[in-house]
Amino acid sequence: MTDNSSVQRMSLDAALDVLARRREEQVVVGTMTANGAWRQKSPHDLNLACIGFMGGASTLGLGVALSQPDRDVWVIDGDGSLMMQLGSLGTIAGAAPANLLHIVIHNGVYETSGSQPLPSQQQVDFAQMAEGAGYAQTASFGDAEEFDSAIDELLAADGPTLIQLYTRPADRFYSARPTPPGTTPALARMWPPVAEALAG
Amino acid sequence: MTAQSIPADQLLSAIREAGVQDVVLVPDTHQRTVLDLLMDDEEIRTIHCSTEDEAVAVSAGLIIGGRRPMMQIQHAGLYASVNNLRGVALDGQFPIVLLIGLLGRDPELEPEEDGSSMVRLCRPLLETLDIPSHLLDGPDDLHHVAEAFDEAQERNGPVALLVGTTTS
Repeated sequence: MTDNSSVQRMSLDAALDVLARRREEQVVVGTMTANGAWRQKSPHDLNLACIGFMGGASTLGLGVALSQPDRDVWVIDGDGSLMMQLGSLGTIAGAAPANLLHIVIHNGVYETSGSQPLPSQQQVDFAQMAEGAGYAQTASFGDAEEFDSAIDELLAADGPTLIQLYTRPADRFYSARPTPPGTTPALARMWPPVAEALAG
Repeated sequence: MTAQSIPADQLLSAIREAGVQDVVLVPDTHQRTVLDLLMDDEEIRTIHCSTEDEAVAVSAGLIIGGRRPMMQIQHAGLYASVNNLRGVALDGQFPIVLLIGLLGRDPELEPEEDGSSMVRLCRPLLETLDIPSHLLDGPDDLHHVAEAFDEAQERNGPVALLVGTTTS
């Protein structure tokens, strides 16, 4: 059984830097804490975000991957987020998109709500779960340099691939601001330009 | 009026004529004869999901990538998918058409008169979510399938089709 209490952990910033250096024309679906940081590191018209439907990033990415088999799709998921729709591991493995990379940021907490612990925080291992579900490749990293050395080989092989990145939780939370009446939701603003870019 | 069973091949033809490319599904006992045909179909792809919440997000992703999906679920799955219906289909303004089987419905009664809460609460829930719905109570109602796709495109949002009796 995995013991997460003693595992090495990198910073979220260092983890995302490794990915940002490989960013080309992939569609990237971000969510939770990593989403804002990713959009700053890698602004792109093919960025999508799962905001307001926690747990949906992996299957939103799956749909894009199945519709665009010649384009790589990356999902930058959270551990608490994936826990909410854990069945998506089986759904993704069954659909078997070779072009899908599923990153799971494993900080062990619900960081957006104030860093409360995940259920089974000390043991949960998403790479083992994905392997059991039938992903083509899985890997885990707690050190950014090791991740940087290994990622190109993982990207070169057929997916679906799940990479679990152990990161240090930050001591923060996000409070929601009231939404003025008549506001167009973020997702409705975000996806039509992505669809247009993919169609072009 | 008594609801009439819809032959599976007729429902499949209506789905095909609506231009559906992918059926994103969680199996429905009520529509199993259609599912059997769909899974053997060489033109329409079936994508099997673990939960109906996932099916909403997969459908949205397919639309982003230029495909024309349809969701096929059971009424119990409608209740299970509410968060993504709200957060993805409604907030994201995705034209997703849902084919929902009313498993166990008494064909002699309106759904709102049914003894089963899963049947009885379907349309009230859809109304609460501001999702239009159309009841398929026999082969004569199959015109709603293609029309639902037009309606979903026009309103930039989901539309539900309720399969009133077990398909044959």
